[in-house]
Amino acid sequence: MFAYYFKLGLRSLRRNPALTALMVLTLAVGVATSMSTLTVLRAMSGDPVPSKSDRLFVVQVDNSPADTAAGEEPANHLSWLDAKELLAAGDGLRRSAMYAVGGVAEPEGGEASQLINGMAVNADFFAMFEAPFLHGGAWSAEDDARGGAQVVLSSAFAERLFGKDDPTGRRLRLFDGEYVVSGVLAPWRPMPKYYWLVGGNNRFGDTDEVFIPIRNALANESGPNGNVSCNGDGPEPGFSGLLNSECTFMQYWVELADAGERGAYRERLAGYVDGQKKLGRLPVGERSRLLDVREWMQVQDVLGDDTILQTLLAAGFLLVCVVNTVGLLLAKFTAHAGEIGVRRALGATQGQVFQQYLVQAGVVGAAGGLLGLGFTFGGLWLLARQSEEVAAVAHMSPAMLLATVATAIVAAVLAGLLPTWRACRVVPAIQLKTQ
Amino acid sequence: MEIRPILSALLRSKTGAFLIAAQVALTLAILGNAIYIVQDRLAIAARPTGTDEANLFYIRFYGFRDGIDVPAMLDADLAMMRAMPGVKSVATANMAPLTQSGWNLSVQPNSNDDSVESTNTAFYYSSENLVETLGLELTEGRYFTPDEVQVIEPSVANVDPRHTVITRTLAKHLFPDASTYVGKVIYLGDARMEVVGVVERMQSPWAQLGEAAERSIIVPMRQLDPSAAYIVRTEPGQLDRLMREVEDKLTAARDDRVHLSTTSLPEARANRYRADRSLAWMLVTIMGLLLMVTASGIVGMASLWVNQRRKQIGVRRAIGARQRDILRYFLVENFLVTSFGIAVGLALAVALNQWLVSALEVPRLPLHYLPGGVVALWALGLLAALGPAWRAARIPPAEATRSV
Amino acid sequence: MLRMNNLSKVYRTHMIETHALRGFDIHVREGEFVAVTGPSGSGKTTFLNIAGLLEEFTEGTYLLDGAEVRGLNDDARSRLRNQKIGFIFQGFNLIPDLNLFDNVDVPLRYRGLDAAERKRRIEDALGKVGLASRARHYPAELSGGQQQRVAIARALAGSPRLLLADEPTGNLDTQMARGVMELLEQINAEGTTIVMVTHDPELAARAARNVHIVDGQVSDLEHPARRAPAVAASEPAAT
Repeated sequence: MFAYYFKLGLRSLRRNPALTALMVLTLAVGVATSMSTLTVLRAMSGDPVPSKSDRLFVVQVDNSPADTAAGEEPANHLSWLDAKELLAAGDGLRRSAMYAVGGVAEPEGGEASQLINGMAVNADFFAMFEAPFLHGGAWSAEDDARGGAQVVLSSAFAERLFGKDDPTGRRLRLFDGEYVVSGVLAPWRPMPKYYWLVGGNNRFGDTDEVFIPIRNALANESGPNGNVSCNGDGPEPGFSGLLNSECTFMQYWVELADAGERGAYRERLAGYVDGQKKLGRLPVGERSRLLDVREWMQVQDVLGDDTILQTLLAAGFLLVCVVNTVGLLLAKFTAHAGEIGVRRALGATQGQVFQQYLVQAGVVGAAGGLLGLGFTFGGLWLLARQSEEVAAVAHMSPAMLLATVATAIVAAVLAGLLPTWRACRVVPAIQLKTQ
Repeated sequence: MEIRPILSALLRSKTGAFLIAAQVALTLAILGNAIYIVQDRLAIAARPTGTDEANLFYIRFYGFRDGIDVPAMLDADLAMMRAMPGVKSVATANMAPLTQSGWNLSVQPNSNDDSVESTNTAFYYSSENLVETLGLELTEGRYFTPDEVQVIEPSVANVDPRHTVITRTLAKHLFPDASTYVGKVIYLGDARMEVVGVVERMQSPWAQLGEAAERSIIVPMRQLDPSAAYIVRTEPGQLDRLMREVEDKLTAARDDRVHLSTTSLPEARANRYRADRSLAWMLVTIMGLLLMVTASGIVGMASLWVNQRRKQIGVRRAIGARQRDILRYFLVENFLVTSFGIAVGLALAVALNQWLVSALEVPRLPLHYLPGGVVALWALGLLAALGPAWRAARIPPAEATRSV
Repeated sequence: MLRMNNLSKVYRTHMIETHALRGFDIHVREGEFVAVTGPSGSGKTTFLNIAGLLEEFTEGTYLLDGAEVRGLNDDARSRLRNQKIGFIFQGFNLIPDLNLFDNVDVPLRYRGLDAAERKRRIEDALGKVGLASRARHYPAELSGGQQQRVAIARALAGSPRLLLADEPTGNLDTQMARGVMELLEQINAEGTTIVMVTHDPELAARAARNVHIVDGQVSDLEHPARRAPAVAASEPAAT
């Protein structure tokens, strides 16, 4: 019977092409705006590492001054003073401090020097954030501890310098020094770059080109290539002054074996803060805390208000389109009253009439959904012009493609409920006489 | 013109009328809010920087070799640029308005006691005349003299300014009771600065919302780190050409540094407000589509009513109604439905705004925006209903006696 | 086949009661061809609606093919309509979007028959009314008489026990009307019970038995030959 109703539905659409076109167009536009904004919303709020997002934590040790207002957030970054101690404590399954570095790479073979961005991290970084390797691997624990001149390259950067060859073991002149390539990453693009969210519009941008051991960067006095936040009197001059001050510019992440260990770690962190307080530091240190990946993304406002706003207004627009479709379907089905009366007289039950016209509504929805797919691509293109971040995520996935058509069908069927219910209440007797 | 019979007839086909009213209400609610958000965003994106924006660009280099003689490099660059025709003024600068990165430090008025509240400000420094180069308006006092310029070697000494030029907004905030500000004292950490001049306006690089964007200070300083960053002011019409030429020349001049960026201020503005402008466009698109959809709904429903009542209309004509009476009937009927929708829509608009304000930090909708939306929807309803009403008026009286 | 006893149908609106049928008795035996006549407003249409299970009645009993109809829910009545009754309307009531084949197909679809069985029945029915060659044409392409024949084919396709015809020739000219009547007589001869509502006394005369309704009640006449040729000014039945 479904095939029969489907065929009838298609045929009746052709009866009044203007009305049909109007309904299909309305649904298509409504679904397109909603789905394109929803795609962006989902991408921006998605979990970048679902396998461990609840046991991967950013540690915020709050070294804000004593007069900090009560409602303010703890400091985004850590000072090296705290990062150093946390690393030394060696707590948790894996851990890494990190900060952004930048400088010039001078490839051999006479190619021009280029400015690159990188991160200074601990060796655990790669396993913690599930960075996949194409060649080689992270540097050894010894190199990590003594700050050896090792470097891991991003896949794009390695290809630019070394083509398709495996450059593991080769040398590279970087940041005015000589480094040995310990590994090359496979293409890796976490969305967003959740390990380094603070201080940049680059959260959905390209991967960092190089990763070097943090102790190497510190020894070479590589200046922080991101936000540096100093409270109070400011640091002593020079890089060592910066390291020994309360200036924050680092991030510290810890991976625990199980999400349940969070509480225990938190307590140990509190213990550390107490110890530091006795040394005269961390006046408001009790505000220090542990945030997992999703909480961190929320605090850092990865999903901006604007994205939510435009999705809401698009949903409101879809609602108007659905109400519009209800009216149009009502008009269409009212015109069918004669035929409905005949069918009822010939033995169709109310249920069968209901099914027939609901399927008809569904056919309108399917047509609207297919057209809406095309519009959605247009919508995504428009949205991509908002910023680099949105452009990076404004792509249709197969799931969203299906969801677009499904949404249109569901919307049309919902819109069709009232008109269809009205249709099957047609009393055959009266209608037949009026014909 | 009898409204009551029209109204009671309308109430017999409640569903259709309700659907139209619902569309009108939702449209007004969304429209009212969207229009205001658009206007608000465009206003934000239009805020002036206080500079001669159209003729300014900012160029940055990074020296990667050890042992660069920074003062010599800076002076050589400045001299080279000043010699180029079309360049009006050049200055070293650690940051530029609208470029979205830079220094943000906190200052305290009069004393640096812990009890005194500190204020975040944008911290500009330059060893040349930034007022002249940026085209700022100095309204009180003077700019720095050459001997007030400090030269700081960052690896051995901290920033320790003695003089400052501040914006009027910052001055009013720090010294609310004063009317003149020259001679006032501001502390940057331990550094005691004296205000020597006040500029009317100088926007921060981040151009944040609200007053924070207008709180900036300038300090006469040159830092000896191996980066070279310059703000260049050109004669009108020379910006594009000079951007390329200056970049080429400075790049070619040395091989121990790499070019970071060259950004014109108009470009920086476009970047800074890209998201706001895009959102505004998106909302405008939705508003346009919304109006079209609602209009089509009104046309559809009105057409349906006309068709359903063909016989009735014929009868009315047969017993004496003129064409314009029929026209008026349908327009009044449509007006009643639209008005009901508008009334509900007004309440919805306010409610929606209330929710948006609390959930998403959207600005509060000023009520004087709503009458515009009301008029727009009345007009829309009228225009949409005109077609079907016109067709109704053309129905011949003979329709009354037709059967089947 | 069709037996109504003491049937009454009362319409109530706004405190006004209209008795469309009262104390209505009728018994149609299997294979009969009965014409139901009466002036306008007499209740013929109401009788047909009730007989065809299109409307419910207020009091009395109605046995269709031996089974009591009263109290059946809407779904059961729809099923009965589909399987036992065939309708022929004055206005043909064909579905304009569908061709002849698909029009005759409609009641069969609601029976749940498979495609082969439906095809056989449709071709049979269209053949019987002489329109098999035009199965793919649309109603708009046919004359009034041909459209009514299609309607008859549609009514027949389900092998109904009872054919209900409401002024089947009302919209046809004399020649077409004659053709349709001949078709009906032929169908009746093959064994289908037919109840036809008409106000045309000539048509009524072709039926084996006439039933005359006035003011919602029956005045039954055995054979038209016994009646005067002119339509009787009805004598109200004894109250």
